[in-house]
Amino acid sequence: MKRDLYDKIADYIVENQNQFYRLAFSYVQNQEDALDAVQNSVCRALEHCGQIRNEEAVKTWFYRILVNESLKILKERKKIAGNSGEMEDLPYEEKGFEIQDDLYSHINRLDAVTQEIIKLRFFEELSLKEIAQITELNLNTVKAKLYRGLKLLKVEIQEVEI
Amino acid sequence: MRSMEEAKRKYDEIAIPDELSERVQREIGRMNGRRKILAFRRRVQHGTAAAAAVAVLFTAALNTSTAFAEGAGKLPVIGPVARVLTFRSYETEEDDLKISVEIPTIEMISEDMNGLEQSVNEEILNLCQQYAQEAKTRAEEYRKAFLDTGGTKEEWAAHNIEIRVWYEVKSQTDEYLSLAIMGTENWSSAYSETRYYNFDLKQGKLVTLEDILGEHYREIADESIRSQMEENGGNYWDDFTGITEETPFYLNEAGNPVIVFEKYEIAPGSEGQQEFEINRQKES
Repeated sequence: MKRDLYDKIADYIVENQNQFYRLAFSYVQNQEDALDAVQNSVCRALEHCGQIRNEEAVKTWFYRILVNESLKILKERKKIAGNSGEMEDLPYEEKGFEIQDDLYSHINRLDAVTQEIIKLRFFEELSLKEIAQITELNLNTVKAKLYRGLKLLKVEIQEVEI
Repeated sequence: MRSMEEAKRKYDEIAIPDELSERVQREIGRMNGRRKILAFRRRVQHGTAAAAAVAVLFTAALNTSTAFAEGAGKLPVIGPVARVLTFRSYETEEDDLKISVEIPTIEMISEDMNGLEQSVNEEILNLCQQYAQEAKTRAEEYRKAFLDTGGTKEEWAAHNIEIRVWYEVKSQTDEYLSLAIMGTENWSSAYSETRYYNFDLKQGKLVTLEDILGEHYREIADESIRSQMEENGGNYWDDFTGITEETPFYLNEAGNPVIVFEKYEIAPGSEGQQEFEINRQKES
C-alpha cells in the first residue's frame, strides 16, 4: 500500500516537473533558486509521503510544499540582502530591464497569499476548491482575496473566468 | 488594458532548464536509496527469529538427508570416538556483500559425554550465527556511511566486502579433540574473533590448562612465554602480566597446549596474532 503511494508520488512529480519549475520560478525569478525550490520540495514530499491519507490529495499537498519552499528561498534571500546592508530592492525591479508594466510582473508585487491564489488559479488552472486546500483558507476567503487582488491589478473581472 | 491571457502566456514561456529533470531524478534516487536502508534495518531487527527458523530446518536435514549423511561420512573422523561435521554451511551474496558460513558440530560416537556435545554444539551454532549477523550489520553500516559520504555503488562493489565464518580442526587423537572457530571481516580486523574448544574425549569434558599443565599452570605458562619472548626478540609491549584461566589455547598434534594472544593483546598489531607452545611436563 505504502509503497504504491510512494511510487505514485514519484511518478506524479516527474510528470509535472515543468509546471512545478514554472511556479517556483514565478516566485524566485531565477533558475538556480527555482531548481533548488523544486528539488527541496521533492525531498520533502518523499520524506513525508507517509503523512498523506488519500491519493487525491497528492496534487494539492505537493503544491503547498512547493509554494512554501519557494517562499522560504525568497525569505532567505531577503535576509541575506538585509544583512549585507543593501537596499531592499527586489531583483525584478532592477533597472536595465524593459519597463515591467505588464500584468505578469504586477502579480509578483501582490502580497504572498493573493499572489499564490492568482497564480494557482490562472497559471496552474486549479479550481478554487483546490486552492482553498492548498492555502488552508476557507473557500469564501479565497474568493474574496481573489477579487480584491484582481481589482488591484485592474483586471476586468468580466474578462476572466473565475 | 491588462490581459490575464498575456500574463499566462508569459508564465508558460518560462524556459525549462535541462538540469531540471536531472535534479528531480537525482533527488528521487537519493530518497529511494535511503528507503532501502531503512527497510534493511527493519529486516535485521527481525533477523534473529529468521536465524532460529533456519537452525531448526538444518537440524532436520542432518537426520533426514542421505546426501548430507554421505557427505558427512567423508569428513575427518577424529579418533574412534568423535568426529566433526559441517552442521550448516551457506554462502550468500547481496548488495555486493559476500557472506560464507561454515558451522561445525561435534558428533560423539561413544555416548558418554553427559550432554556436553549438545550444549557445546548449541553454543557453537549461536556463536557463529551471532557473529555472521553482527558482521553483516557492521558491513551495512559501513556501506551506508560510504555511500552517504559520496562513494558510488561501483566503488563499493570494488571493496569486495566479505564475511567469513569457518572452523579448523587443530588436532585430533584418541584422547582429545581441539577445534578453532573463526570469524573474520575482510575490511577490518577489529572484530575478528577466534574461539577454541578442547575436548577431553575420555572424560567427556572441556580441557583446561590446569588439566594439562597441573595446578601451577600459570607459573609454568608465564615462565615459558617470557623466555620465548626473550629468545625470539620480538616486538612486545612491556607490560605482559601473565595468562589467566580465560586465556585461549588449543592443543597441537604433539598434545602441547598452544597459548594464543589476539592481535594487539601483547604486541603491536603489525606483529599479528601471537602463539606460544608450552611443553607439557613429562612428570605431570
